[in-house]
Amino acid sequence: MVGAAEEAQLNRLESQVDNGGGGAREYLCLVRKLKARRSEKVLKHGLSILNDPKSRSRLAGDEWTLYEQVAVAAMDCQRLDVAKDCVATLSKKFTGSLRVGRLEAMLLEAKGAWADAEKAYARLLEDNPLDEVMHKRKVAMAKARGNISAAIDFLNKYLEIFMADHDAWRELAEIYVSLQMYKQAAFCYEELILSQPTVPLYHLAYAEVLYTMGGLENLQAAKKYYASTITLTGGKNTRALYGVCLCSVAINQLTKGRNKEEKESSELQSLAAEALLKDYKHRAPEKLPLLTAMLKNMKARPLILIFFSKK
Amino acid sequence: MGVGFVVGVFGGLVLAHAAYSTIQYRGMLKIVEEEFSGPPMNVVVELLLGLALCTWAGLAVPAKFLSILPDSDENRIVYLPANLDFMIFNHRGKILPTNTELKFKI
Repeated sequence: MVGAAEEAQLNRLESQVDNGGGGAREYLCLVRKLKARRSEKVLKHGLSILNDPKSRSRLAGDEWTLYEQVAVAAMDCQRLDVAKDCVATLSKKFTGSLRVGRLEAMLLEAKGAWADAEKAYARLLEDNPLDEVMHKRKVAMAKARGNISAAIDFLNKYLEIFMADHDAWRELAEIYVSLQMYKQAAFCYEELILSQPTVPLYHLAYAEVLYTMGGLENLQAAKKYYASTITLTGGKNTRALYGVCLCSVAINQLTKGRNKEEKESSELQSLAAEALLKDYKHRAPEKLPLLTAMLKNMKARPLILIFFSKK
Repeated sequence: MGVGFVVGVFGGLVLAHAAYSTIQYRGMLKIVEEEFSGPPMNVVVELLLGLALCTWAGLAVPAKFLSILPDSDENRIVYLPANLDFMIFNHRGKILPTNTELKFKI
């Protein structure tokens, strides 16, 4: 989970290191801690540390973790020569280690040698059948080869054993959404919300899946989850505010013919609209006329937009 | 930080003095053979003064307090980490040119 202050710190360190100020080591530690995927920067600054023997000796114990981090970043930037060198150094130091074996198999994956990588993972899994990271790499490999149904199978089997792994639930939910299997995706997001109820982004994603599925009950539930996202983020999440407005409009359209007494109050919608107007006035005043036009349109003639859950 | 520290030390001394006066007062009551109902008025005033000084020092001496609310401006979750366990390497960035000068020299 990346908080707002941590993101600001990361960006500040990144611009500082890019412009030649020191602090490369803190930047790399922060990237490792926040699990951000900034492979180009990591590669550039990590190599600058590793190529300089003075700063390398200053790293002491951290040196090998840095090798691993740079190796993975090199694979992501498709610099397989750098990756091979890093992995070779690591395997010279830690021969026969599981972690280094995993890196070697990942290198085979990055090269595109899927059969060899599979054999390497199978061999490593024989000795360590309960290694989570390797099971997840198998899923990633199936996804990379385009075999999404095999990826889903592997991931389901993995989740039967390791039910508490929320990264895996998140991955499964995203795969289901990409295949438009929204009911299953909703189930995955429910598991995520159950295990971590204070993360607003799960509530937001669940609300969006419900909104996409449509139907009166789903829309009412979606409105509730958008509202809980607003509570958990202190009203700062623009997407949730929009979601509340659109859900209210869609619900009103669906219940147009019904009894007037059963209609819910439109307080939530007006409050959300007010909050949106204030936010736009503060942060993007040139887009304010677009927003007022859209809100007026929504009251006159409701539109239904389909939201796709994407990051 | 200096002022708060001095104020805190002073508040501690005031409380110690109040304790000492109460002990002396009880000694005096033993001589007069009266019941100890409560400390005299000035000791109570001294106690309240010591409390106020120590509380003020306790809040002023540490550095800036960290925020604990999950929806405060610093703590709210902005995005989720990139799920690096499932990272795949055959993405579109494969064909982008990278800086081939970056080499690993041992």
